[in-house]
Amino acid sequence: MLGGENRVLLFCLLPALVLVIIFQFIPSVQTIWYSLTNVALLGKKALKWDFLGVGNYVRLVSDRYFWKSFSVTMRYVAVSLVFRFAIGLISALFISSKMKGRTVIALFLLLPMAIPGVMHAFVWISMIEPRAGTINRIFRWMGLPPQSWTYGRITESLIMINTWAGYVLPMLIMASALASIPKEYHEAAEIYGASAWMKYWKVIFPIIRMPLMFCMIIIVKEDMDDFTYAYMYTGEAPRADYKSELLSLYAYHKAFNYYELGYGCAVGVIIALFILVLTLAQVKAGRLAK
Amino acid sequence: MSDIGKKKNLLALVVSPTPTVLKYVVLLAILLYVFLPLAWLLLTAVDTNPGAYLKLPDGLTFGYIWGIITSKPIKSGSGQATHPIYMTNWIVNSLVLASVSMVVVVICASLASYGLSRLQMRGKGVLMTILLLAGFMPATAKILPLFRLCRQLGILNNLPGIGVVVASGSMGMMIWIMKGFFDNIPRDLEEQAWVYGYSRIRALFKVVLPAAGPGLAVIAFLSFMRAWGAFTLPLVLIRKESLFPISIGISSVLFADPGELGLSVDYGSIAALCILYAVPSVVIFYFFRKHLMSIRLTKIEVR
Repeated sequence: MLGGENRVLLFCLLPALVLVIIFQFIPSVQTIWYSLTNVALLGKKALKWDFLGVGNYVRLVSDRYFWKSFSVTMRYVAVSLVFRFAIGLISALFISSKMKGRTVIALFLLLPMAIPGVMHAFVWISMIEPRAGTINRIFRWMGLPPQSWTYGRITESLIMINTWAGYVLPMLIMASALASIPKEYHEAAEIYGASAWMKYWKVIFPIIRMPLMFCMIIIVKEDMDDFTYAYMYTGEAPRADYKSELLSLYAYHKAFNYYELGYGCAVGVIIALFILVLTLAQVKAGRLAK
Repeated sequence: MSDIGKKKNLLALVVSPTPTVLKYVVLLAILLYVFLPLAWLLLTAVDTNPGAYLKLPDGLTFGYIWGIITSKPIKSGSGQATHPIYMTNWIVNSLVLASVSMVVVVICASLASYGLSRLQMRGKGVLMTILLLAGFMPATAKILPLFRLCRQLGILNNLPGIGVVVASGSMGMMIWIMKGFFDNIPRDLEEQAWVYGYSRIRALFKVVLPAAGPGLAVIAFLSFMRAWGAFTLPLVLIRKESLFPISIGISSVLFADPGELGLSVDYGSIAALCILYAVPSVVIFYFFRKHLMSIRLTKIEVR
């Protein structure tokens, strides 16, 4: 009986598994295979390529530009993680509090998610424009020196855009998690005279630990292979100072601009490895924190 | 301007930063951060003299929005060449892509997450982790194998086919979200249905799925939005201009002659285009907003 039941349930899994295997898993394996060759996008080597083994990876280690874009990406991911998580959590606390007008605030806070990704880069032109852009006007008003957000500080601009668009999903997940906590916990904390800070630190956050961790995993995964904003502000060739060159964009440029498909795939594999390692580390840390 | 009002508020607040006041300062900062870029978009689309910075319109005009609706070509950066607009085509294409993707995600992800939620066997955690990890190769890296695969399957320039590909990309996450909803539906509900002689599948459709309605709404919404905003996959997999979804359409306008930032781009028309692009998703968003607050992820098991 149980076996038959399990068979029905496994059958339910089939359609999703088939799709994921065909369109996600097989291309990923092929990417790993290409990364071991010097296959090109166009030209002679597109048809007659050689197997290099780990040759591409050896080349990566001594590739100055790879390390440059690697450090840019690390900064991008780390800073984005902090801000997306913090703003997401703060907004979640706001919209799940008993504050007046929180439904209206929630509608406002949800707006960036309602707006398609291609538009984000365009919408932010007015903010980061160096001469009369909104951020530089605020900077001048606060007595700070204006920054060149579209050139020297493009990494920071990309982080701002990414945070703007990316805090909504963590906010939603955390707000739902907060809403799922039974009232008794809040009441109990108040009876024992816990301060607001203690209440969150000792009672609320441990309960929603899993959703918080899930948020971090999603954020890191999304940001490690972010592409659209960097692409919109860079175009088909890397910038001279590589400050907008996220790793996925570097892989794209290598494959589609320099036609070194195998090398681009090697960069892609490195990104995937990093996502894997970071995710496992987060999961481990989450378990240790139990 | 709002800056000055903010200054006065801030000054008063800095003097006496009680926790409540601090809370409102933080809230104000977040709201400004969210709203300032959008304010520019809204104002620019109706400004007779649009520019790349936030200002009150010199005069009101609906010419840009009307021009986009009637598919009038946009002046490009140099002001001479024009770029064609196929507004109706773009929107229809995007609707096809997003609807197919949504239907595929809702069917496959709800079945799979129901299975995962009720299944009791070894290796379930592994299966869950595999589903979550399957999409881990960055899209840009696997785009070329995917391009070759789609050419072999004959779904290049095929909007429903690409909708399926887009759906597969977010499947793992949707299954995880949906499983949270199923985990919160008591088993007694189905068991009662079985007692009344329902088969497993019938109980699923008649009893469990209706109870998981909000979850279905959430993944339907999220997958629609993802496909509506999809960029990288359509960029590579659609090579025919008449099949462009609106995301690629917009970028084709922006890239026709992007020019220097802050110079000579027809900001009014592009802002109008962006607003029209965002309208359907904002409308859908408005109807779905309540369900979005009900995502439950309390029982995640990562191994």
